[in-house]
Formats: sequence, structure tokens, C-alpha cells
Amino acid sequence: MRKRSMRSRYNFAAVLSAVVLVCCGALISNQNVSAAGEGKITGTVKLEGTAPHMRGIDMSKDPYCVKASASAPAHMENVVVGSGGGLEHVVLYISDGLTGGALTAVPSEEPVFDQKNCMYTPHVLALDINQKFKVTTSDQTTHNIHPNPNPMTGNIPWNQSQPPGAAAIEKSWKATEWIPVQCNIHPWMHGWFAVVKGPYATSDASGAYTINNVPPGSYTVTAWQEDLGTQTQKVTVAAGAAGSANFTFKGK
Amino acid sequence: MRTRLRKWSLWLGAAAFLTLPLASWAQLSTFDIETRIGAESHVGNITGHAKDAKADYRRYCVGCHGVLGDGNGENFPWVDPKPRDFQLGVFKCRSTPTGTLPTDEDLFDTIARGMDRSNMPQWSTFTKQERADLVAWVKHFSPRWANEKPGAPITIPPEPEVTPERIKAGRDVFARVQCWKCHGVQGMANGPSAATLTDDQGRPIQPFNFTEGARPKCGDTDRDLYRIFMTGLDGTPMPSFADNIKPDEAWDLVFYLRTFMRQHSKEKELAKQLGLKPVDPNAPAPAASGQQ
Amino acid sequence: MHVKKRLQRCNFAYFATSLSAVSLILVSVVLTCSQPANALPAFARKYGLRCSACHESWPMLNYFGQKFKDNGYQLMNDRDAPIWQNPGYWPVTFRITPIWHRVSTGKVEIDTYSGGVVSGSSLQRVTSSGFDLSGLDFHTGGTLEKNFSFYVLPSSDATASFHFETVMARLDNLWGSPWLNVKLGKFELDNLLSEKRILTLTGNGGIYQLYHFIPVGDGNIFGQMGDNQLGVEVLGHSFDDRTRYSAALLSSNDGQVGLSYGNAYTGFFAASQAFDAGRAGVQRIGFYAMAGEAPTTWLTQGGILFQGANGTGPSAIGNKTFSREGFVGQFYFGPHVDLTVVTQHGEDSAWFGQGYGDLIDGIATANNTTGTTLPAGARNPTWNGVLFEPHYVYSPQLIFIGRYETIRMSQQANGPGSALPSASNLGNISTYTIGYRYNPFMTSRAGFAWHNEYNWLHQDGTAPDGSNINTSELLIGFDFDF
Repeated sequence: MRKRSMRSRYNFAAVLSAVVLVCCGALISNQNVSAAGEGKITGTVKLEGTAPHMRGIDMSKDPYCVKASASAPAHMENVVVGSGGGLEHVVLYISDGLTGGALTAVPSEEPVFDQKNCMYTPHVLALDINQKFKVTTSDQTTHNIHPNPNPMTGNIPWNQSQPPGAAAIEKSWKATEWIPVQCNIHPWMHGWFAVVKGPYATSDASGAYTINNVPPGSYTVTAWQEDLGTQTQKVTVAAGAAGSANFTFKGK
Repeated sequence: MRTRLRKWSLWLGAAAFLTLPLASWAQLSTFDIETRIGAESHVGNITGHAKDAKADYRRYCVGCHGVLGDGNGENFPWVDPKPRDFQLGVFKCRSTPTGTLPTDEDLFDTIARGMDRSNMPQWSTFTKQERADLVAWVKHFSPRWANEKPGAPITIPPEPEVTPERIKAGRDVFARVQCWKCHGVQGMANGPSAATLTDDQGRPIQPFNFTEGARPKCGDTDRDLYRIFMTGLDGTPMPSFADNIKPDEAWDLVFYLRTFMRQHSKEKELAKQLGLKPVDPNAPAPAASGQQ
Repeated sequence: MHVKKRLQRCNFAYFATSLSAVSLILVSVVLTCSQPANALPAFARKYGLRCSACHESWPMLNYFGQKFKDNGYQLMNDRDAPIWQNPGYWPVTFRITPIWHRVSTGKVEIDTYSGGVVSGSSLQRVTSSGFDLSGLDFHTGGTLEKNFSFYVLPSSDATASFHFETVMARLDNLWGSPWLNVKLGKFELDNLLSEKRILTLTGNGGIYQLYHFIPVGDGNIFGQMGDNQLGVEVLGHSFDDRTRYSAALLSSNDGQVGLSYGNAYTGFFAASQAFDAGRAGVQRIGFYAMAGEAPTTWLTQGGILFQGANGTGPSAIGNKTFSREGFVGQFYFGPHVDLTVVTQHGEDSAWFGQGYGDLIDGIATANNTTGTTLPAGARNPTWNGVLFEPHYVYSPQLIFIGRYETIRMSQQANGPGSALPSASNLGNISTYTIGYRYNPFMTSRAGFAWHNEYNWLHQDGTAPDGSNINTSELLIGFDFDF
């Protein structure tokens, strides 16, 4: 499925950046205009029907975790429904229609994947290909952070410990994939790195999302939920106007 | 009616049986693999060639690791731990950081060392050339080697003298990075998280029990122990501690781990003299020391 | 019992001494001489390894299989003890071979008739052919616990009459060292080229003549390296099995139970070293030496053979010496071609040369009683032999086998000064064997081979008229074990 060699991808990136450099001077104003004209796609993701029961988590294996989560008992986070049926932790990205710089640009911000009260915050971290991110720990117990991608995609599994106070781990992923991440020491800790290509967003507690930096055009937007699967919609972004796409997943 | 039902269940069973092997991670065809038959390995001044290992692989390895190197040989259902899937290019025993490819020497050593407590024998009867050829052959199954370079081997400083202070310091490292969460406070593989561990394929896996006299899977010299926790065993729950244990501390930890092991050692003797007690699992996590 | 025992010995020279029985014996020899071979699907099942992992071609071991055996049937992965196996696991393997074969022997003395009565005899070639069976072997072996190994092999002839071919227990890796292992019981000597793992099945080609050679008229049955012997063995090897040694103290009784041979012991020592020769493979060279004593004087009671007290059977004294020694080399030329070479120099005491030693059919035909002297011109019989066995291993499933063996007497027991000096070539043997084994499948569960083989053996001076005898055999069969 993912046969394209890493090397050719790099070559492609190199050629592209060279072209960008050469044309830089000529296009600089143009670029600015286009950046200013870039739109966005907004909407909400909702769950229709009964939300599946998210059972509570027994952390008694580690007294620290019990204490840390005492004030707000932890629950499974596979399907998190907020106020008004809003579905949290849904990853939205443009699966078709993007070309050129909008597709290949890598965001410079480094999102943080924190281990806090023996849970992952956020539960799902969306990332662009090659976007750097940080794994941190706020806990006073040792975690091991163990993403488990399929190596056939080009993403390589790794497994590092993070004892209390350990420095942040900085990493990135090479290919699009839904990568499960777990802590073997605390087997209930389960999260995702959602690696996509191009602009993306993750729905908040009310189910709302905004994908920024989308140039005008016609696109297919995909919403991915770890348990409920994917949905797609066609969206058109006009110059200066936001596209809109609302998704509704059905509760099982 | 009943006979028909039985017949159906038979068919279903047969279908399930046939599809079971397909459920493994194998994704590459013979053709994909064949394109990399020119793979080489370099161990010392020996150059191994994949094509020269074909006969040896068929003779010795194929029963477990399978024709496609995906670990789906005829013995796959019966052996535990399961045979390695070479197509994934993920290996336990490395001198390189977690998430990187092992060096050719790592694979070369693994073939001869075997995997203790598994069905992987010590293939030490090969000539060095044959083993180097097999390393190249193992590499040719995975596209990773075509796209990536092996990681840079970690540097292991010379082993210091064992002292009581070092063993005590090792105990502190053991407590700080919480090895006992899986391995237990006495290294008996009975830590609070030991029972729930799974490997990358979701199969149950046990932490190493230091006390029953077995050899660690990736070698039993002091340097091997050092390497195991500083690189992690990829594909298993054993993480790399490279970011959290300084090289000098790592030797302390090696010495402390030796005190658990059944084999007689100077470390064991010193620990006895010190009257060293196991770490207290209920004590609050020691403050991070030795962070850079 | 002794008749059967002698058949098992499979020594051609021996048959030749009782010439009238030659044709009969040759027919039956196949039944008894298909050597019990230690190829164990039971091990393959235990460890999930294919036959080819341990066998260059079943049943011949490769270096890995040799190491497995030297470790006491252990992979040394800490999962060797039976406690790690499913409790239902029983390490049992059987092996049997249905065959068709054709045996042809020249210069057999056959009666001629005239008018329905024997009128004389003539030398004829006797040829027999037909469908047949080998004996049946029940192998059971493995570990009782980590570093406690055993092997028990009840083996039958083709009529299901059983004897114990191997019974031994072994303490492995004493003090944690591969250099010290101790074995007690009845076992195969540490022959680098193992006759129990021979790739050929015919009467004369299914044994190594070198391992069973007895000069014509010689009474020493005790120096047969190819027979499993009763004794104790210390064996050691390096971690990778490149260096190995073994020293055994054996009863001089050719592996026969009961204490029928008095107090006589034989020592056997073998050592070898292997070398890394790159892509050619591992090369091994070694040597072996067997030196022992065996009795020549049988105790009698009222002029007949003493039958023993407390069921120990006859007893004998008057030990005389014998020795066998030689070099062994195993050379690989890449993945397909290999060659094994074994040499031997043998010497028996002159007493054995005159027929003293073994009982013949329970009778001490030659008994070295007080006052017995050697006849004039009696000397120690000595000989030299060499064996070449090349293999072409097309794949683990198909092997072509060739063998040439020759044994040349260098000193006959009856020298020039004796009343009837022997011809210098009396009893010399040359034999060729060619064959192939094809295993249509190769798994870690069972073994099956289509076997085809031809053997031709030539011995000097043993026909009734003093001329040479040629014997040949063609064999086709299914050799299988599970």
C-alpha cells in the first residue's frame, strides 16, 4: 500500500524546496496574498444516539496514579462525548484536493503529548508528516512511551522510558498512519498519534473544529474517530469564506 | 438438520483455519523481496551476500521464519515466543538506539547467541562467512534497510571496578527509573505491571526474571546488560533508558542487577556484606537525579 | 542367542569363514544390519526444527546436529527440560524400512546332485531377490531434566525379536562446563563418522567395513568400533563444538549384556578440531584410538564350558591385547559437496589371530588353556584401511552418496614360518557403494525418504577354492520414521 520509497520522497522535497527558493523573490508578494487569502474549514462533530459507556479505570497497580486521579476519576477515552453530543478527539483532515505547498508544508509548532495523572493528554494527538512533537511527563511515576506503528509504513516503533522529571522526548513520524501509543507499565494508558498529510484539526470537548491554512478550492474532508471509523464530505472553500462540514457519527 | 449444521461448522472451522495465517502482518510478496537479493552485510572484514545464504536459510531457518521471512513458518502456531518477522525490520538485540535498525554485527551476534527461553538455538556452528551471509539474507526481507541506515551504536564506557558504593548507587537507579514496576523489587519478574505486558503484536510477554538462572535474551555479559536497558528491546515492553540513565550510573545499575542473579558474582557477595534490602515499592519516587 | 548375535555383527569376513552359510546369511544380513539410526522426529517436534536443521540428510548429522547431541540432546536455551513440554509429549520415534532388494554372491559352494543324491559340490553364484523389511527401531531419548539426558533404543530384527541397541543416561555440562559430560550405559562410540547415522542400507554397504573388520580366522570380536558398547564415557566440547574429545572405558564384550567375558576392558579415545573455512564451510579433522584387552582362556568345568554362577554366564581369563587407531577428516566444499575420510590401522594379538577369543556358537573352539602355545610362525595380524565417503547435497531433500572402502592386510596371522602361511592378500576387502536418498517433503514432524542404493563388495581369497568373492546388492525402499 505504501510502497513509495522514503528516498524518492526526500528527493521530491529537495527539488520542491529548490524550486521554491529560486522563485522566492518573484513570488514573495504573491505568497503573502495567498496566505492572507487562505481560508479555513469549520464545523462540529456530533454523536447521534447513545454514547457507549466508558468504564472507569482501575489504577490500583500504581498507588501514585490512584492518588493523582483521586479528584477526577479516570475513564476510558475511546469515545468522549461532550455537551450537546459533541464528539471530542476526532481528527479532521483534508484527504483529497490539496496540492503544492499547502499539502507539503510542515507546521513549525511542536505540539505536546503529556503524561498526566497516568493518562495521555491529549488522548489523540494529530500531526503532520515530519512535524516535530514533544512527549513530556508531569507525573511522579515512571512511564514508558511506546508507539506501535506498522513498520511497513515507514514509521518505526520505539520505546523509551520517562521517569519523573525526565526531559521531553522530541520525535516526528514519516508517514500517515493511526499510530497507537501505550505505556506498558500502566496498561490502561492508551492514546493515538494521528499522522496525516496537510492541514488538520482535532475536535474539542464540544465537537467543534477548525482546519486553518486551507487555500480556496474544493476538498474532501475526512473525520476519523478511533472506534467509530471515518466519514468524508466534500467541502468548497471560497476566497475569504470558510468552508463548513458537520459530521455525525452514530453511536453503536 | 443437525448433520447439516455440523457440516457448516466444519466448513467454517476450515475457513477460519485457512485464514488464520493470513492475519499476520505479512504484506510483502516474493517479488518485492527478490528485488533486494543483492543485499550485503559487513562484519569486520567479511562481506556477506544474501544470495549465498539461500541454501542455509532453507535448511535451518525456514521452518520457523518462513519462506517470506515473515515469521510464519510451519512452526508458527506451536512455538512461543513467536518467530521474528524479518519483514518488519524490528529487532530486540541492538547496540543502536530504540527505533533504529540494528548493525550487521548485532544480527551477526544474535544468530550465534540464539534467544534464551525461545526456540531460537545458538547457531554458533556456522562459519563467520555463512553467518554474515545470513545477516544479509535477514536484511533482504525488509525494505527498511533499503531506505534507512542502522542507528549509531551507543558508546559504552569501560567497565569500572565494582565497589559497594556503586552497588548502592545502582539500587538508587533501580528505584528511580522504577525497573521494579515490571521486574519486581527482587528481580523476580513479579512487579505490579508484570502480568499485563504484551509485545508489539499484542501477545502476552513476561519480563526477565533475574533470579532463576536464565540468561538475558540479548546476552549475559556485563556489557550486554548495559546495552539491553540503554537501547531497549524493540518490539517488547522493555523501553530504552538512554535518556534517563547516565553512562556511569548505567554501570552501577548493571552491578546492582547482578546481585539478583543466581550465578555467583562479586556483586552478590558485596550486596550480602552490605545487607542490601530490596527497594520499597511504596516509597515515593525518588527525586530525579542525574538529569542533564 | 549367539547365532543371532553373530548376525548382528555384520562382519563379512566372519561370514566367509563359515562358507556354506554365506548365501543364507547374506539374505538375512539386511534384515539385521539396517543400522538403528538416531534420527528423531521426536526431537524435531519438541523444538520445532526441521530434519534438515540437524541432519545433513537424515540420519547423518550436520555440525549443528552434532552440537545438539554433544549438549545431551539440548538446544541449551533453558527450555530443554521436559517440564516445559506439554505433559502429553513423549519423545518416541519409530523407524522401519520396507524394501525390495536383490542380493548376488559369487563362489558359493553348492551341492550337486546326481540321481537325487548329493554327488559333490560346485562353486556357483547365488542370487536372491524379493520384497523385504528392515528391523524396527523404537527410539526414545531426550532430557529427564535440564542437563540430565537419556537414550533408550529397543531395536528388533525383521521378525520383531528385540534387543537393547542403546540404553544410556548422561549427566551434562557438569559444573556448568560443556567440557565435562558423563555417560553410562550402552552407547555408540564417539565416531565422527557415525555408523548409526549411515546413509546406506544394504547388507555390506549399510555398515562401515572399517568399523567391523576381523581378519580371516581371527577370534577377536571385541574391536568393532561400529557396535554399540557397554561402558562409561566422558565427553567434552567447546561452546561452539569446534573442539571436542571423548574418552570411554568399555567392557570388552562387544556390547553384550551379562558378564560372560570375565574382566576385560577397552579404552576408546577420540578428539577432533574444526576450522572455519569461510564459504567452503566448517572443516573437521580428528583422530581416534581404541586399545583394549579381551580374554582367550575360557573356564571349564568337567571339561566343558563353565556356565557361570549367579547367572553371569561363562567366564574367561587370559587377556590379550588389540588396538585400532586412525584419522578422521570431514571436509566441506561449499553447500553441496563434502567428503569424509577415515583411516585405520589395526592390530590384534597373535592369539586372536589363531582364533582364540570369542565363543563360537557357545563353544570355546580355541581355548588358551595352560600349556597352550602359539604355532610356529604365528604373528600379530595387522592391517590398514581407508574409507572415502563423498556426498553431493543437491538440497536438504536430495543427497547422492558414494563410498569407497578398502582394507589391506599388512601382516597375516600365519606368517611365512607357519605350516600353512596365508597369502598376503587373504581377507582384503574393497567395496563401493553408491546411492541417493530423496525426501519428498521436509518438515519438523516426520521423516520419509525414497532410498535407492547399490553395493559391490570384493574380498580376496575367501572363496572355498581360495579365489576371490564378489557380492553385490541392489536395494530400493521407503525409509521412514515418525
